[in-house]
Amino acid sequence: MPRITREAEITWEGNVARGSGAMTAASSGAFTGLGYSAPTRIGNPEGKTSPEELLAAAHGGCFTMSLASELTKGGTPPEHLDVSCVITMDEVEGKGHQIVHSEIRALGVVPGCDEAGFAQAAEAADASCPFSALLRASATVAVTASLS
Amino acid sequence: MATDRTAAVTWKGSLMEGAGTIHEAGSGAFGPLDVSWASRAEDANGKTSPEELIAAAHAACFAMALSHGLAQAGTPAEQLDTSATVTFQPGVGITRVALTVRGSVPGLDEAGFVAQAAGAKDGCPVSKALAAVPEITLDAALA
Repeated sequence: MPRITREAEITWEGNVARGSGAMTAASSGAFTGLGYSAPTRIGNPEGKTSPEELLAAAHGGCFTMSLASELTKGGTPPEHLDVSCVITMDEVEGKGHQIVHSEIRALGVVPGCDEAGFAQAAEAADASCPFSALLRASATVAVTASLS
Repeated sequence: MATDRTAAVTWKGSLMEGAGTIHEAGSGAFGPLDVSWASRAEDANGKTSPEELIAAAHAACFAMALSHGLAQAGTPAEQLDTSATVTFQPGVGITRVALTVRGSVPGLDEAGFVAQAAGAKDGCPVSKALAAVPEITLDAALA
């Protein structure tokens, strides 16, 4: 199997409390120079992204592709999937900040698939999404799915 | 206090022929971004992927943790340039993350910088979330 690599680059200036950084998607160029800082990571985002928001986009994107794959394997490719992902970071006693939870909600328009079949496909997608498997080692992952 | 960050994705069609969109981020900082299986598993063709987003999250988290460690040690960084390369093997999973950093840190020698970078690699929240990745490497040096 081919090995696929994707790279991102960051420049950070200054200390953590007052400094700031900028992130660039080096492989695709799909985003460049996204600013971030400690206050906007922990508190109000004020229009700035954060590592956790990128993880939410990554997990949402990864799960959605796995769900499309599972539904297609089952003979009912999706017409339309809407998936949201919320990543929670919290301070864990003695361990500092940790990613503690990822909450996925999936809504689907899937001709020929009933609620039970959709729920089953979502469960299989969670099991086959490579990022779900990684997160589960240190956080909880919850998936809810229903037809829209 | 817990911090939540949200993203939303729409997908249309099967995995191989369909395509998706990562909506504008909750913060408003990026998006909408197109995604597809072909651009995830073959040439990126200008499209991001879950693995590229993980790379950005990890390199960003690592840079922030390192800047914190250096400041705590009394040698704050002037500038840190970090990168993360995430390797994805379809059917197997995410098999490797390679972190690099070059730093301008007045008053700190190479060995001290490498030790701080190793601490940030182990301690940053995204590293902890990715702890199940089989291989996470670090290449750290002063600029």
